[in-house]
Amino acid sequence: MERKNNYKAWLYLAPILIFIFLFTIFPIINTFIISFLKNYNYATGANEGFTFENYGLILGITERIPGVSESKMLDFIRYALPNTLLITFVSVPISVILALVISILLNKIKVLHDLFQTIFFLPYVTNTIAVGMVFAIIFSNTGLFNNIFGLGNVNWVQEGLGSTWGKCMFVLCLYVIWTGLPFKILIFSSALHNIDQQYYDAARIDATPKWKTDLKIVLPLISPQILYITITSFITGFKEYNAIIGLFNRSYTINPNVHDLYTVVYYIYDQIQGTNGTRHLEYAAAGAVVLFVIILIFTLIQMKVAKKRVHY
Amino acid sequence: MEIKLVALTKKYPGDVKKGIKDTVAVDNLSIDIKDGELLGLLGPSGCGKSTTLYMIAGLKDPTSGEIYFDDEDVTDLEAEKRGIGLVFQNYALYPHMTVYKNIAFPLTNLRVSAPKKAYKALSYKLILDVISDRERLKKATLKSEIDGKITKDNAALYIAYEYSISKYLAKKIFSLGLHDDNNKDKVDEYKTYFEKKLQEEKEKINSKQKKIDDNFVYLDENNNPLIVKRKLTKDEIDRLILDVARLVQIDEYLDRKPAELSGGQQQRVAIARALVKKPRVLLLDEPLSNLDARLRIKTREEIKRIQRETNITTIFVTHDQEEAMSICDDIVVMKDGKMMQFGAPQDVYKNPSDLFVAKFLGNPPINVFKGYIKDDAVFIGDEKIMHLDHKENYRDCYVGIRPEAFIFEHDKEYHLTLNIDSIQSTGKDTSLICSHPQFVGDQLKVVIDSDSNPVLGKKDFALKYSKVYLFDMKDEKRIEL
Repeated sequence: MERKNNYKAWLYLAPILIFIFLFTIFPIINTFIISFLKNYNYATGANEGFTFENYGLILGITERIPGVSESKMLDFIRYALPNTLLITFVSVPISVILALVISILLNKIKVLHDLFQTIFFLPYVTNTIAVGMVFAIIFSNTGLFNNIFGLGNVNWVQEGLGSTWGKCMFVLCLYVIWTGLPFKILIFSSALHNIDQQYYDAARIDATPKWKTDLKIVLPLISPQILYITITSFITGFKEYNAIIGLFNRSYTINPNVHDLYTVVYYIYDQIQGTNGTRHLEYAAAGAVVLFVIILIFTLIQMKVAKKRVHY
Repeated sequence: MEIKLVALTKKYPGDVKKGIKDTVAVDNLSIDIKDGELLGLLGPSGCGKSTTLYMIAGLKDPTSGEIYFDDEDVTDLEAEKRGIGLVFQNYALYPHMTVYKNIAFPLTNLRVSAPKKAYKALSYKLILDVISDRERLKKATLKSEIDGKITKDNAALYIAYEYSISKYLAKKIFSLGLHDDNNKDKVDEYKTYFEKKLQEEKEKINSKQKKIDDNFVYLDENNNPLIVKRKLTKDEIDRLILDVARLVQIDEYLDRKPAELSGGQQQRVAIARALVKKPRVLLLDEPLSNLDARLRIKTREEIKRIQRETNITTIFVTHDQEEAMSICDDIVVMKDGKMMQFGAPQDVYKNPSDLFVAKFLGNPPINVFKGYIKDDAVFIGDEKIMHLDHKENYRDCYVGIRPEAFIFEHDKEYHLTLNIDSIQSTGKDTSLICSHPQFVGDQLKVVIDSDSNPVLGKKDFALKYSKVYLFDMKDEKRIEL
């Protein structure tokens, strides 16, 4: 009875399944394959057979081949990976905690609640590149940030013009935190909104201090949403790319040889695009697989931790 | 504790612009609730009974009127300071905490004025008491055996109950292994050890220039117990939880999460959580509505038992008249925020003050007919159904006849003829579904003795006058003749 009309369901699903296979499944498999091919030619598909060398090269294990230093393959292990980890592990925890605090406070106020909610959600509908450019202006040497804090003529975002890696990272993390907030606040707010008023009433009857209600009752009740947000934020953090373009793109036009602000995804794009006409899809593929493995490991760890602490 | 409601009113303001009128949820309600009483607030949904309960709890503010706990005016007192226990309709158990932690939660917030004790010395003393009688300890421990195995947690629970000590201390004692016959000789060894420890502890206290009495309570300069404002200790909390868990019979489930319990068990946990802090008043909001029929009857007996044992003033909100009738000392019947009648359930049932109360109480419900009073008799249609002692002026009225008021006998002069449409036998008695042209309502039901042998068709019934009520056509108030 249940199986009789199965083919119909498959038929209806066919268009989307074909697209998913063509543009998601196949590229994933292909990426795995390419990452193991030596000197892969993106146009003809020609290669020199199976190798682990691509991984060895981008991770700095295998010695560099003399004469191909312009591929800058070492930038992966030297800049892209450390930067990505730094961005993720600094900005994600701060952003999640900040979003939680804001959501809980937002949930408590009655007056102007809707207005504040809109304000907090506005960044979500703004183009990230545009936000990045605004940030770049705010943090330029004559920008708002210097003016507000009276810091004088500090250049924060233009590496070629006096900024340093540290300053750029500071602005970058700030940017990632800020742009990440609205979606998190939206999810947390709706989760908080769905908590049964009876839990608050029960806590009140039991003379629970407000902070204790938030910490011991409210947080555990929205723990599934916290887990969801944490995992997706980590994944987004690992994939950070837009921010670099929006914030620092100009510095590359001034000094195209400085790559210390690379992230993993930026590195991958650069390898695909190629420098000086040489494209290295095999390095890009290897970088993508490394990123995949990192994300997988962290997600599994989070799921494991969640088993004990998340209450559905 | 007595509770007094004086002209309590709750209005929800409407919106003049949108033409929404004010909603009066509770209207000028005055009730005196006696100490240790189980009071039922009874009424159809939307009658304001839950609102009344929440105002007593302090979760809703009354628009006007006052609430007194004994002589204390608590109208403006915050909920957390009223010292009440509230059982919510959906229990509102914290899903992420075990049953134990759920019950412990209110206690962790509590600050009590209590004597300061020398806890360490006290615990040595308790251990000494327990191990002095090895046989008793062995017996208590062996009782915890399940499938020939003794686990630490389970044994500790049994020891804790046997000696009224905390589970933590019981675990410590269990770890000594004295229940095992192989360790028989070690009793004296342990005794000397703990006696020495106790002595050391006492000397330590003495060396600090402090005094304690025989119960290890610190004394002040005048040798009075030293009372301090403090939080409950872990051991005290544990003791209270074990006691209340036993009272509501959930001691086996303390380590489970609420989701792993049945509805009835969750209900008990909710009651335990409300009772554990020894509230001055216990409020129950439709506590049985989420249970199935059988469990409902069992649980309501349970509530009554717990209420009797604790003798705590209890207010119970329900829309189920049977529930209220069966366990409450007094009931308040409410309609549209107003109190319709107050009294003992049987009195209210026997003497309803108006048609609404008469209709609301009783299962199956009362049968209402359109009738009239003429001379010295009550008529329905052309039939005289009841004799009156004196002559009355003609007036139309509603006649309410309880299903059990019909007598399966023929009476020449005063009777009511019904058409019997169907017969249902429940074994104990027989219900007849009947019809009559003057009947108002859904179903005319007559309950008679199962010995009678009714047949379908027309039949005239004599009536028990005490179960026939007359109500005014206009204001539906009872007509007393």
